[in-house]
Amino acid sequence: MGEKKLSYESVQVGDEAPVISHTLTRTDLVKYAGASGDFNPMHHDEVAAQKAGQPSVFGHGMFSMGLLGTALTDYVGVGNVTRYQVRFARQTWPDEVLSSKIVVTAKREEDGRKLVDLAVTLSNGDGEDKVIGEATAALP
Amino acid sequence: MADDAASQEDVLKSVIGQPTGTSKVIVERGPVQHFADAVLSASPIYHDPAAAKQAGFDNIPAPPTWPFAMEFSGKFDELQPSGAPTGNPLAKILGPLMAKGGLILHGEEEFLYHRPIVVGDVLIGEGVISDVYQKESKGRTMTFICSETTWTEESTGEPVVTARMNLIHRS
Repeated sequence: MGEKKLSYESVQVGDEAPVISHTLTRTDLVKYAGASGDFNPMHHDEVAAQKAGQPSVFGHGMFSMGLLGTALTDYVGVGNVTRYQVRFARQTWPDEVLSSKIVVTAKREEDGRKLVDLAVTLSNGDGEDKVIGEATAALP
Repeated sequence: MADDAASQEDVLKSVIGQPTGTSKVIVERGPVQHFADAVLSASPIYHDPAAAKQAGFDNIPAPPTWPFAMEFSGKFDELQPSGAPTGNPLAKILGPLMAKGGLILHGEEEFLYHRPIVVGDVLIGEGVISDVYQKESKGRTMTFICSETTWTEESTGEPVVTARMNLIHRS
């Protein structure tokens, strides 16, 4: 796809994507619930979350993967991603500052395609990783 | 109790390879736009058909994690394939596990993209339980349930995206 993003020639192993940093709000979680259909009360109902022993509502794992996905596609282009995988390591909490880190780990040619592998992480202000994963993009 | 443990393992293993169902989904502009907003994308390609075309897409594309959410807004009852398998095998194993308490966690998620999903796509998803296994961790039993859904274009049968999910029940 012709999004004006990275080119295979210009990208180098060790390059990092621009960081997205975002302070998580309860409104973010309500918006994500409405857009995704995930109405698990743990993500929007403070009373229910506290009754279940949680300090407050907490973020959808897929919100974290989605936010990190936005940083990924801003860098490589949504039409170029061929694989995106994450492990959900920790819950996210309102008022945490979530920051993306995306690093190019390899360049390789396979079946005539020019691929870059990336390590992707979303972490909070204390450096705690929330989601950790990998992505691959086929670049022009 | 040994018999119980053995039969529980048999139940877990019995669902491996079983289908989780077939879905037909229509990708519409409004839900895609709301989803892109919800994952905090500011890119005009999710809002403006001209920007999407300029970027080389046939229509507005969907963000990368859209396949996880698209059944919510795009699965219409009267369009679902008839004769699709009923009775989700997930319920068969999660029911008895949850009856003993514990938590269900989303452990991992993976998407393999064969081409971008765009507004106007009509997709068929077929899911299967790919693996079930248990591990002991800090005195708790962790049950891992892995499933895979393959989404294809209805009109051509061409693959579009494969989604793999790993759910964990923690006792």
